[in-house]
Amino acid sequence: MTNPDDIELVHRVAQADEKAFLMLYDRYVGRVHGLTLRILGDGMMAEEATQDTFLKLWSRARLYLDERGPLLLWLLTIARRTALDRLRMEARRPMLSDANDPEDSWHVISDLDTLTDESRWRSLYFAVQSLQADHRKVIELAYYQGMSQSEIAEVLSWPLGTVKTRLRDAMKHLRAKWNEE
Amino acid sequence: MTEDEHSLLRENIPAYALGALDGDDVPALEAHLKTCEACQAELGTYRAVSDSLLAAVPPRQPSAALRRRLQSQLPSAQKARGPQFTWSFGQFAVGTALVALLFMNVFSFLQMREIQRQQAGLLQQLKTNQFALSMLAYPTTQSFPIAGDNLSGSVLLDRERNTVALVMWHLPELSEEQIYQIWLIEPDGHRVSAGLFRPEADVAYTTQPVYSEQDISSFVGVGVTVEPAGGSDEPTGPRVFKVDF
Repeated sequence: MTNPDDIELVHRVAQADEKAFLMLYDRYVGRVHGLTLRILGDGMMAEEATQDTFLKLWSRARLYLDERGPLLLWLLTIARRTALDRLRMEARRPMLSDANDPEDSWHVISDLDTLTDESRWRSLYFAVQSLQADHRKVIELAYYQGMSQSEIAEVLSWPLGTVKTRLRDAMKHLRAKWNEE
Repeated sequence: MTEDEHSLLRENIPAYALGALDGDDVPALEAHLKTCEACQAELGTYRAVSDSLLAAVPPRQPSAALRRRLQSQLPSAQKARGPQFTWSFGQFAVGTALVALLFMNVFSFLQMREIQRQQAGLLQQLKTNQFALSMLAYPTTQSFPIAGDNLSGSVLLDRERNTVALVMWHLPELSEEQIYQIWLIEPDGHRVSAGLFRPEADVAYTTQPVYSEQDISSFVGVGVTVEPAGGSDEPTGPRVFKVDF
């Protein structure tokens, strides 16, 4: 189930309604900025990525399809890619696909309630924190730094097989925790 | 496909869901996912986890300035600002200098024109005064006193040269709608217009030559009246003075 208020607001943003845009900003800026800051680790760069994310919401609101998931997921997907591209630019690593347009990777998730349930994402946050240090490290580098398994192996000087095993085990653990909720 | 091959592909699903699978391994897995329902279901469960990782971060508020910056980029703010033209220090300095130069040029031009006008007036006055002085030097010139309210002066008459000059002290200034008109008086009392004049501002005396196409001896006097600007065909306004020859 999606939030009808979000849908109404994003449709108004698509018609250049600035008031609706600022309402969405006020509603979700904390979540978006939390993610960009988590990825970039620098307040100024994170603010720029947050700003870019909302400017993309302003210019691409007409592309949002409510049947494909909640607006927050769409926004956070844009925020992650925007922040990772900035990170890759700083590190001179290849950019992600040109998906500051999230259409490339945005997919239907089976349980649309999941992201709107505060307690569940908090549980997953604590599940990530409770992972073994080596497991948590590969999740961090893969998801919040946008690295492939080979890049992680190179950065940590681990054998590629070790990275694959630890990443797989970490994901299994998180899935189990997710399904417990 | 063997069970081992299937297991190897399936082991890549968690990394694929995270976006961390190396590019070389992606095509084989994506091809397999198109035909394997079990692996599609497995991918669904891991994607739910990876999507949730997006939100598994504590919210953080940015600075209040970010909202203002964002708001300033919206169309209404852009429109309110209008076309943006920013002046650099150099442009501002050059602009100011040009305006000052223009102002000085206009001021100088007006000042010069006023000086030229004053010079022309003074030159005319000088010529008139020289004319009056030269008349006084002639032994045949006659002088007749002018008397009136707060007014004094002389009428200089040279019958041989057929000229008359008026030298008047303390002539009152007139409004823009009025002017002094000179009349030569014939024996029958008829007045013939002999010119218009206006006293110079800030000058105590006025010297005014009077030229006549007729023989000056045919007139018996001269007078001055105040008339509407442009003059009249015959005296209509108050008399300033009248002098009989």
